[in-house]
Amino acid sequence: MHGSFFLTHILDQLFGGIEASAFQSIVGLSASEAAEKAAGVNSALALELLVVGGTIAFFLLVRLTLSVEKPNPAQQVAEMIGEFTGGLGEQIIGHGYEKYQSFLTCIFLFVLLNNLIGLIPGVPPPTVSPWVPLGLAVPTFIYYNYQGFRAQGFIGYLKHFCGPLWWMAWLLLPIELVSHFARIMSLTIRLYANMYASDMVTLGFFSLVPIGVPAIFLGLHAFVSIIQAFVFMLLTMIYISLATTHEH
Amino acid sequence: MQGLKAEEFDFVIGTTKVVPCYKAFAGERFRSGQTKGRKSEGASTVSLNHPLAANPREAGETMRKLQYVLMMLAVLFCAMPAFADGGSTAINLVPIGAGIGMALAAGLCGLGQGKATASACEALARNPGARGGLMIFLVLGLALIESLTLFTLVIILVKVK
Repeated sequence: MHGSFFLTHILDQLFGGIEASAFQSIVGLSASEAAEKAAGVNSALALELLVVGGTIAFFLLVRLTLSVEKPNPAQQVAEMIGEFTGGLGEQIIGHGYEKYQSFLTCIFLFVLLNNLIGLIPGVPPPTVSPWVPLGLAVPTFIYYNYQGFRAQGFIGYLKHFCGPLWWMAWLLLPIELVSHFARIMSLTIRLYANMYASDMVTLGFFSLVPIGVPAIFLGLHAFVSIIQAFVFMLLTMIYISLATTHEH
Repeated sequence: MQGLKAEEFDFVIGTTKVVPCYKAFAGERFRSGQTKGRKSEGASTVSLNHPLAANPREAGETMRKLQYVLMMLAVLFCAMPAFADGGSTAINLVPIGAGIGMALAAGLCGLGQGKATASACEALARNPGARGGLMIFLVLGLALIESLTLFTLVIILVKVK
């Protein structure tokens, strides 16, 4: 359970006890049982925290050094990211995309950096474990439904599930519900399986030819990482735009 | 010379059932190409009592043919016990099933993606101005098609221990 990275070890030393004590106090297990049940901090969580910390530090730096006359490189990178997600949001969601841009940018950057951290040889990207994409897909699902309720009202958004004809609602409501819950599954599995497959391909070729050849597949890994982050954000945008557009 | 060749083959593998068809094959080969080569080389006088040993190239070819025949026989006779064994010990078909499933999924996904990409290229050639919108929907479509293959992969990962 305990990862081999230095960072993982430190984090586990610092915070691994919290989980065990939570088991002890909330679930009511004895101390030895709680220590067995607790998984501790694994490398995926440590890397995610690293990505979160790095991203927050980067944007704090950008925020503190904002300037109109002399934009520094960090600000220009941040502007590029903002223009990219903003342009895409305007194209897909249309007017009023600014409300959702922060969430979309967060999702995009988090997925992208979590994927790309796997380019460092020997570091498994956190998205290779299926729980990380699931942890991204569930908030996405909650978020777009929340936005749908907010934009169309409670009744209006529920009507949206029932299809255009009231006497077909009994048929369409289950279908719509299943298709909405399948979005969680498809978002999760798409990201997880893509990253797992590309990681496995790199590892497989590394075990065949340890020199030179795996570098090609690292390039493929980088490409897949970017595409998957892009697709995750794009699908989130499409779900938001489907949930918030008024039918008329 | 030809007759001698044929007899020689008879002598070498005379006991097997494969001889008649093999003899015909060998005779045809020697009639068509090999005799001319020998004349031009002028080596016909050298092959006195053992024509196989006299011409190394011919001997090599003969050996190769013999090898094929023996390999075929080996497959024919060794495969039987292997199939007969299948009844008693269970063959593990799970990897084969996983491979077939993945191959089907990947192949059909490739067909679908090819169709999507071809249409996108055609559209881009007709209307280069629509590049931005096309790229988005192309990438989105490819990701959605690809995810079907990945569902297969995940099912294989889950089900195959």
